[in-house]
Amino acid sequence: MSTPTPLQTLSAHPEERADLAANPVLEVNDLRVVFAGEDRTVTAVDGVSFVVRKGRTLAIVGESGSGKSVTSLAVMRLLPEDSARISGAVNFAGRELLGEPHGTIRDLRGNRLAMIFQEPMTSLNPSYTIGDQISEAILRHRKVSKQAAAERTIEMLRLVRIPSPETRYHQYPHNLSGGMRQRVMIAMALACDPELLIADEPTTALDVTIQAQVLELMGELQEKTGTAIILITHDLGVVAEACDDVIVMYAGQVVEQCSVEQLFAFPEHPYTAGLLGSLPRLDGKRERLTAISGTVPDMANPPNGCRFRARCPFSIDKCAKMPDLLEVSPGHFSRCWRTPLENLVP
Amino acid sequence: MTASTVSAQTAPAVHPIVEIRGIEKQFVAKRSFLGRPLASVKAVDDVSLALMPGEILAIVGESGCGKSTVGRLLMRLIEPTAGQVWIDGEDVTKLGHAAMRRRRHKVQLIFQDPYASLNPRMTIGQTIAEPLMLHKVVPANQRRQRVAELLEMVGLRPEQANRYPHEFSGGQRQRVVIARALASEPRAIICDEAVSALDVSIQAQILNLLKDLQKRLGLALVFISHDLGVVKHIADRVAVMYLGKLVEIGTADMIFGAPRHPYTRALLAAIPVAAPTKRETSAATLQGDLPSPLAPPQGCRLHTRCPHARPACKEVDMRLDVEPNGHANACAFWRELPEPGPVTRTDASRNPKLERLFAAFETTPLAAAGRN
Repeated sequence: MSTPTPLQTLSAHPEERADLAANPVLEVNDLRVVFAGEDRTVTAVDGVSFVVRKGRTLAIVGESGSGKSVTSLAVMRLLPEDSARISGAVNFAGRELLGEPHGTIRDLRGNRLAMIFQEPMTSLNPSYTIGDQISEAILRHRKVSKQAAAERTIEMLRLVRIPSPETRYHQYPHNLSGGMRQRVMIAMALACDPELLIADEPTTALDVTIQAQVLELMGELQEKTGTAIILITHDLGVVAEACDDVIVMYAGQVVEQCSVEQLFAFPEHPYTAGLLGSLPRLDGKRERLTAISGTVPDMANPPNGCRFRARCPFSIDKCAKMPDLLEVSPGHFSRCWRTPLENLVP
Repeated sequence: MTASTVSAQTAPAVHPIVEIRGIEKQFVAKRSFLGRPLASVKAVDDVSLALMPGEILAIVGESGCGKSTVGRLLMRLIEPTAGQVWIDGEDVTKLGHAAMRRRRHKVQLIFQDPYASLNPRMTIGQTIAEPLMLHKVVPANQRRQRVAELLEMVGLRPEQANRYPHEFSGGQRQRVVIARALASEPRAIICDEAVSALDVSIQAQILNLLKDLQKRLGLALVFISHDLGVVKHIADRVAVMYLGKLVEIGTADMIFGAPRHPYTRALLAAIPVAAPTKRETSAATLQGDLPSPLAPPQGCRLHTRCPHARPACKEVDMRLDVEPNGHANACAFWRELPEPGPVTRTDASRNPKLERLFAAFETTPLAAAGRN
């Protein structure tokens, strides 16, 4: 099949372009996930494309039901194949993941592709010690002795700053606090030096002081290993702290794609602007929050045209037609007819 | 007793709507085979708080700090192990069931998950009418009218009264819960993580609604939350809790502008800020994990994680030190602590055009479309 052209490489400056194209770890092109039920069909992900590069962190931001988690599950081939129809292209290190047989995917998962989820307690097996669970992942993918796997496990636990790892190795998940469990998950995910780590709301269930520790740890480990990270989150604060690039999803589509700096400097999609405005801020005055009126559309019958139209203060007649994801300024893409938004405010 | 020291100075003439004095709550954590208690957790330890009419008091802290237990104690939903609960100037600590129920309408409670707090088999009209019946707020023939008024008050349409909870989205369900809480004409509402389960855009709608209602009806709110951004937006006064203890209390300006206690400083420093400034590793960050509440550390409970801990911290008492302006905190050495850095990093240089872009969402989409 033909290699999909990632959006970002088109926009980069010529001198950067070679650099960017050199290290794509994952290229997703026109990904579509349709859940066909008996009486209704839901298009959860509708034509999503993005690129993740080595050593970079891509944030996928969106509210519940925007399709951000389904996107990552489709990439990992973790969706049930009898109910989810997936189309498009997912290119990971030169392979097309969507066409690979299950055996090959299992060899990749936990090895070169790793994932951590929101709730570490449900991701860990309560009846095995954490040491056994991490060693199991190593023994599955590497030809090493049990002894070597155990040593590697303790090394990983030390890396994620679990105090006295030799003792913790023999403990069960219920002996650990929430923050420690999430660090165990990170240790397990990174045990085989993956090229890509997908973290789905990894800090949402944690308290803020622990969240700060976990985010800092992920950043440090990325610097050491060069792992590419996809961080799925609803928290724009986490995006600002921990990510390099960002895509904003709304109702199954990418509505904005840019660098984190660009996003916070001046968003180019009204939905992103609404999201930023509705964040309670720690600095500044305490005026009214700019809530977005209405709710997300029903994905079984998405509205025609721009899906944000009914909630958008800038909508015009033209919005009844679906806009494309177009470049507004170098590297900054938006799915909106009214860009640049700067011209809309006095 | 350290009761109400902070509030007494702000409004000496009016009495608080809800007040707890030196309250303590122990839960049994482990029982023997025969049911004898073997170990207990002090979820709340010697906390005094007062909610004045019309004010919004926030209680913040991490999981397990006892903030939800305080919320329940404030309306005596659970029995305190020691201390007193006062509602509207009356000691209700020892009141019987029936007498307590007659006072319940004065204080209402809203929980985090609006789906779990609504009966799926009752229409929302029936749900909202129930407190009207129970507390005989309006005569039976006016109930329907009153339900319609309450629905309008929270931004729902009166004709939606015949629908069931599953037909509503999370934000709408939380509006229903608020309408039900308002039905008994309370003087105070306790919101326990009332917006935490909602998406940010919906969360902002509910926060604005709560603030409007508070202004319009002169309600007092206790806002229990782990989200300091939300708290800063809504609260007049803030109480910070850690492992069952009150560690700092003051007005929102005091807590966010000049936090005294190292824990408050660390909480503020840990919040991710939605602005393109990278975090510089802050000196205020806490190390390690929350100690087990079963065996809280001796002395100051923060000393195992505090960046400013010293040997003496193992012996000090966590008594609140009250400054003349009412700002109180429980750090024995707060006067000797280094000046906190810029506590909340500002993005003051934010583009004014950006602010105007946000402001566009204030107008209704229809009006904006007409203008364009």
